[in-house]
Parts: sequence; C-alpha cells; structure tokens
Amino acid sequence: MAVAAAEPETIWKPTVEELASRPIVIEVDHLDWSFGARQVLFNVSMKVHEGEIMVIMGGSGSGKTTLLRHLVGLMPPVANKVKLLGQDIGSLKALEKLELRRKIGVAFQFGALFSSMNVAENVKLPLRELAHLDEKTMDIMARLKLEVVNMSGFGHLMPAELSGGMVKRASIARAIVMDPKLLFLDEPSSGLDPVVSSALDDLILRLREAMGISVVVVTHDVESAFKIGDRITVLDRGHILACEPPDQIRVNSNERVQNLINRRSEHVEVDPEEYLRRLAGD
Amino acid sequence: MAAVLKVFEAIGRRTAKGFDEWGFGAALLAESVMWVFVGRYYRQPVRFSHTFAEMMRFGIAALPIAILLSATIGLMLAIQSLYSLGLFGAQNFAYIGIALSVTREFSPLIMGILIAGRSGSAIAARLATMTINQEVDALQVMGINPVRFLVAPMLIALVIMLPCLAMLANLVSIGAAALYVSASLDTSLGSYIYNTLQILKTDDVWHGIIKSSFFGLLIGLIGVMNGAGVSGGAEGVGRVTTRSVVQAITAIVVSDMVIGYLSTH
Repeated sequence: MAVAAAEPETIWKPTVEELASRPIVIEVDHLDWSFGARQVLFNVSMKVHEGEIMVIMGGSGSGKTTLLRHLVGLMPPVANKVKLLGQDIGSLKALEKLELRRKIGVAFQFGALFSSMNVAENVKLPLRELAHLDEKTMDIMARLKLEVVNMSGFGHLMPAELSGGMVKRASIARAIVMDPKLLFLDEPSSGLDPVVSSALDDLILRLREAMGISVVVVTHDVESAFKIGDRITVLDRGHILACEPPDQIRVNSNERVQNLINRRSEHVEVDPEEYLRRLAGD
Repeated sequence: MAAVLKVFEAIGRRTAKGFDEWGFGAALLAESVMWVFVGRYYRQPVRFSHTFAEMMRFGIAALPIAILLSATIGLMLAIQSLYSLGLFGAQNFAYIGIALSVTREFSPLIMGILIAGRSGSAIAARLATMTINQEVDALQVMGINPVRFLVAPMLIALVIMLPCLAMLANLVSIGAAALYVSASLDTSLGSYIYNTLQILKTDDVWHGIIKSSFFGLLIGLIGVMNGAGVSGGAEGVGRVTTRSVVQAITAIVVSDMVIGYLSTH
C-alpha cells in the first residue's frame, strides 16, 4: 500500500503591510558606539513592529552582537537611543528597568543555562525570583514552556547532559517563561546541524504565532534568516546596509549585501610588486 | 631615561588598576548591604535559602579540615610552648600563651587562610565561569540583580561562618593543647581548663570573632572582584582563581598585623 508523503506544515507569516500598521515596540535612533578608539556602530537606526520577526544579519565583527547587547540593556545606557515598548532604556530608573526586563526574554548563543541547576530549575528561575508563585504553579508553568519547545520529559537533566540543540531550546523555554512581549535570540542556529537548525526556525515561527511576540534574531545563518525573518537588517562593519523583507534583500543591489547572502568573500585587488615589497619588509 | 619613564608608567598603571579594583570592591559591598535592606522594596529580597546554602558550603563542609588543622595548631603550640618555657622552668604557665595566642591570633588567622584557599578560590572560579558562560548576563537581562542573587548571600555566609569556625577552632586547639600539656606535665585536665578560663577575657574572644568576620568579608570581596573581572576563557578562570587566593591570604596576613597593632596600642 502506498503511503502518501506528508504535506509540509505551513506556518503563518504576516505580510509586511500588516506588520507596518502595528505599533513600534523597538526603536533604535542613530546609535553610535565605540570601544575605546574603535567605533563599532555607526548611526544605526531601526524599528521593530509588534509581532514582527526582525533578523539582524552580518558577518563576524559587523557589530550585531554589540547592537543586541544595546537592545537588551547590557551596555552602558545612552539616553534617547534605544526604546523598548515605548520606554527609553537609557533614562530608566533602576526599578523601572527591572519592570521592563520582566517583559523581555533573551536566549544567549551558548544557552547560558545555570550549570548548577537542572533544566526545570533553570526555566523556573525567573518565576521563582520575580513572580513569587507557589511551587506547584511554577512546576506547571515550567512544564508547559518545556513542552512548547519540545523538551517535555527532560526537565530533570543537568545542562551538561544536553545536546547543543536541547541547550538552545531549554534556553528559549527560560526566555519565554515570563510570557515576554519581546524575545531576543543570539545566534540560535550556530553550532547546530541543518535539521536541528531548521526545527529551531520552525519553533521560532510557532512561538510568534502562538504568543504574538516580537522577535529579534541575531544570526549569520543566511538560510535561517530568509526562512524566519519578516525583515532582515544587514549590518556590515557597524553600518546598516539594508533593512528589507527577504525577497527584497535577495535582489538588493549592494555588493556587500550580495556577498553576504551568497557567501562570497570580498574581492581584493593585489598588486604583486607591492605585495613582494611588503614581504621583503621594504 | 625612557626606561625610567616606563617603570614609572608601569607603577602608575598598576596603582590606578589597584584603586579601580578596590573601588569596585567597595561598590560591591555597598550594593550588597543595600540589597539586604531594600531588597524587599524592589521585590527582590536576598534569599535566606541561598545564604543558608552558602553557609553550608563555606562553613559546615569545611568542618573536618578545620577541626584537623585546629587540633594540629593546638598541639604544635603546646609542644613549642613546653619546649621554650622549659628553658626557664616555666612549663606550668604554658596555658597563658596558648590561650591568648589561639583566641586572638591563630584561630582567626588559620581559619581565614583555610577559607581563602578553600572557598575564596571557589568563589572566584564560580563567578569567572558564570561570567564567561554569560550566566551573569542572563541574570541581568532576566531582571535578577547578580549582586543580590550571587554576591550578597556569599558575603553574608562568610561573615557569619568564619567567626563560627574560629570559635570552633578555639575550642579544638585549646582542647588539644590541654590534653598534650596535662599529659606531659602530669597535671589534671580540669586545672588546665580552669586556668585557661581564668586568663581569657571576653575581649580576647571578641577580638578573634570580629577579626575573622572582617577576614570573611575580605575573602568574599576579593573572590568576587577577581571572578567578575575575568577575561580570556578557561585560562583566565585559572588565573583569577590563583590570584584571588594569593590576594586574599596576603590581605588577611597584612590586615591581621594592622589590627593586632591597633588593638594593643
């Protein structure tokens, strides 16, 4: 008996027009940043709408992690540069900042799970420290979130016992346990094989669909960026080269954007005589 | 000339870095104290369960080695006291030196050095690993203040447990010395204990307790300062761990001398 091939499940994505009509939840306004004499961000501006998945893409050293650290408030505050949910994080008081942080979830590149706690305790930590719920309720909520990320039954494991993909999923479960309005993911697919990476992309899309949250994903994985992003911001050497929907990014005329999405190294003209002179130390 | 300038530049840089580190330590202490008092207002109290867990780790888990070291110190002091006082035929007064030196000096100092090696290094290594693994960043973005969650329980635990260990060390050291002296001089154990209690004043015991509390604070702050300032991956963790032990022991010995001088003049 022939078995019909399963239809690939399509995950809902809002249109760009639909997203543009929604309120802005993240706003970066002409942000410059330097580490000492080395400037890493130049006049960066971007807006993310409610329910949008914004992918920040760029090569190594492009400034995307620095930008993400600004967005989640891990860099020294700068007034009137970064607004989350309408609040300027550079001028918030300590108590207001704590309140705002309850509304955002962050999953770090390497998970940042607490190695002394098992997966369930890691997921419960924000609830235990911030929500003041009873143990039973926290157990239920942690179990629910672990189920959302397909990790049910693994709560008792320690982080050291998890595979790379499981660490990422557990980290996402912890990031969404407080039902945040904004979710930030740092390199969610790095170090994962293509199958696990693709499953993680589906998870991100489903999370947006189920929870209606806005997601900012920092990645250099082109395939993943095109799959999940409603818009893609291409960052290169601290400058934003483009901020467009994936289909427009594909046909963007900027050479550097094309180099990045087609994984081409930059062509550098070499003068053989000059090269030999440098080698000889003249 | 250039070489001399380089030396001065290096000294200047190190001095500035030292001030910077101690400023960071002072800020950590101030913030920890603040969280103890205002944590409830921010709905982020310093958890008793965390503090209790640290107390178990720093204090109770160190009991076997603390008892062994204290007994050895007591016996060593008894042996040396009997030998040196024997030169003058004054062995019967050994209890005076033993009682005062144990309570005022040896117990706080030896327990301080023990905990600096055992727990100071663990604090530095733990915080350094957490910093490198972005666990500290994770706490911050969750809205959980790392000083309140990690540092304050450690400092409270050390400030409480080190004096407790020093008190225990007093009992064990004096007990071990009493057994040795009474057996060597063929006198009763009871009379040794009686004489010791007669010579010891409450101030002597308090001197040791306050000093060991201060040592606990030093160990905690130095461990945290080094752990939080880590850079350079696994190698960096090893470096800050060693550095924190060396710094803590140096700080304990130097401050012990200063406190000893100030309290006797």
